[in-house]
Amino acid sequence: MQSFDLTLVAGPPGVGKTTWISQFLANPSRPLFYLCPCAQDAVDFARIGYCFPWVSIISDDQAADVLADLPDQAQVFIELGFHMDLGSPLLVALPGRRIAIVPPSLDSSEWHNWADEVIPSPNQQVSGELASASGKLPTIWRSPLTGQVFDPPSLDEVLIELTGGAYGQVTRLKGIFELPDGQAFYVDFVEGLPGIEYTELKLPRWLEGRPDRFSGLEIVGHNLEQKTIAQALLTCCLADDVLLQYQRQYQQLQLEDETVAAETEPGVVA
Amino acid sequence: MKLAVISCIHGNYEALKAVLSDIEAQKADQIYCLGDLVGYGPYPNEVVNQIRSLEIPTCQGCWDEDIVEGLNACECSYPSQLAEHRGKLAHEWTNKEIRPDVREYLATLPLSLKRDNLCFVHGSPNSQHEYLLPSMDGFAALERVLSTDADVLFCGHTHVPYVRELADAKLSVTVKSPARSDAPQQFQATLKRIINAGSVGEPRHGRPNATYVLYDTDTAQVTLREVAYNYTKTCLAILEKGLPSIFAWRLARGMEFAERADDPTHVCER
Ligand SMILES: [Zn+2]
Ligand SMILES: [Zn+2]
Repeated sequence: MQSFDLTLVAGPPGVGKTTWISQFLANPSRPLFYLCPCAQDAVDFARIGYCFPWVSIISDDQAADVLADLPDQAQVFIELGFHMDLGSPLLVALPGRRIAIVPPSLDSSEWHNWADEVIPSPNQQVSGELASASGKLPTIWRSPLTGQVFDPPSLDEVLIELTGGAYGQVTRLKGIFELPDGQAFYVDFVEGLPGIEYTELKLPRWLEGRPDRFSGLEIVGHNLEQKTIAQALLTCCLADDVLLQYQRQYQQLQLEDETVAAETEPGVVA
Repeated sequence: MKLAVISCIHGNYEALKAVLSDIEAQKADQIYCLGDLVGYGPYPNEVVNQIRSLEIPTCQGCWDEDIVEGLNACECSYPSQLAEHRGKLAHEWTNKEIRPDVREYLATLPLSLKRDNLCFVHGSPNSQHEYLLPSMDGFAALERVLSTDADVLFCGHTHVPYVRELADAKLSVTVKSPARSDAPQQFQATLKRIINAGSVGEPRHGRPNATYVLYDTDTAQVTLREVAYNYTKTCLAILEKGLPSIFAWRLARGMEFAERADDPTHVCER
């Protein structure tokens, strides 16, 4: 008898697959595993690692071993990107509950046929249309940005341009960006939903040199001008001397804050 | 008398033509120009020719100064690192494109113009590069107007038009001197106004339309004008002449720039 639960989650980009899985990852009472095949170095991996450090994140090459030897009571979540073939024999062979998250406007699709349970996406505006008007499937463009720190107003600019279609049609954008005050942000955009969402990641402030933790950008869309995007991003990144200057300033501020906090500590009698 | 005040044409000849015919239709008696004839746009020589041939009194803008003096911007001259990088590309392009007589003409432009109780500047009375943002501290804003001896200060440079009334302008100054009492001395100023003309050729108010202002010297009435023009023509010329294509994308949307967070400790080095 199987002593673990395995859940496979699929659906078009922007429906909220990772968000849906996150509600279960937030509860560390059972051993938790997360796997997103073919998405190594992806933003989702890093975000789940940053937000739920107790979750074991399984890379593709570890997958077979880990799945064969799961601890008792383990809960495994496998997120299937839209680019995965749901009929692939490897996936079909996996035992587990199949969840499809689809836009409420979508009545039938390969996700409907595949799933044990269909959950309507809370993101009403997401169309679920994968192909562009010309019938082409979207491309995914990933850029690791680890070590790069962004000039905040430049990052705002370039994200507005990207999501506004200045460099091709962007249907989905997720990123983790480092800022000069040592904070890292998760940025999320879904075509059709209003605005770009910024979430501060609860990580220690990195104020000593270039951050040695994952940051990166992932864009799904059509006719993406990849070279121009890369160039624009690079223009927003801080040079060594500028970063150093910022970090000195913020270290000083942090020091002052700590001093004030220590001085105002109540009720400490020697 | 009806005055038309235009600013920030930025080599956009199409927009200038449209605004000049709107001014004619509005039956303005006199036009004033607040500078930035060149930069960003594809037709700097043509714009300067037009302004010269109509003998429009013009003050020198930040871009005009940079073309004459060479680029010597302070870090506060640009809202972001990205904007700075693009500004430099546009400067280099314009610097190559401009005719010697046009450069000479730009060098002759005064920093400010006066007419009765009106003063005309590009950025602020301090510098062509200082932004008088509508959010500027009231005291500082009033100080700028008072420094000109005028009641109405016309400016541009922000590319977003506005009218700001500095009513009940009361400056209270306490003079510390042993010989006299510390009674505060008060200076009561009459109503002062800052009128920003927006931008003819590179608007940033969220729509592609050119903006300028009409001012009636008899009634002190201000009218902000917004003029539609064939911006696709300018966009095509931007691409054809090898300027960064993102300029065309932004122009077609009247994109605002993300604002740099105010750094009160910064002292402009221009
Ligand atoms: Zn300007
Ligand atoms: Zn200017």
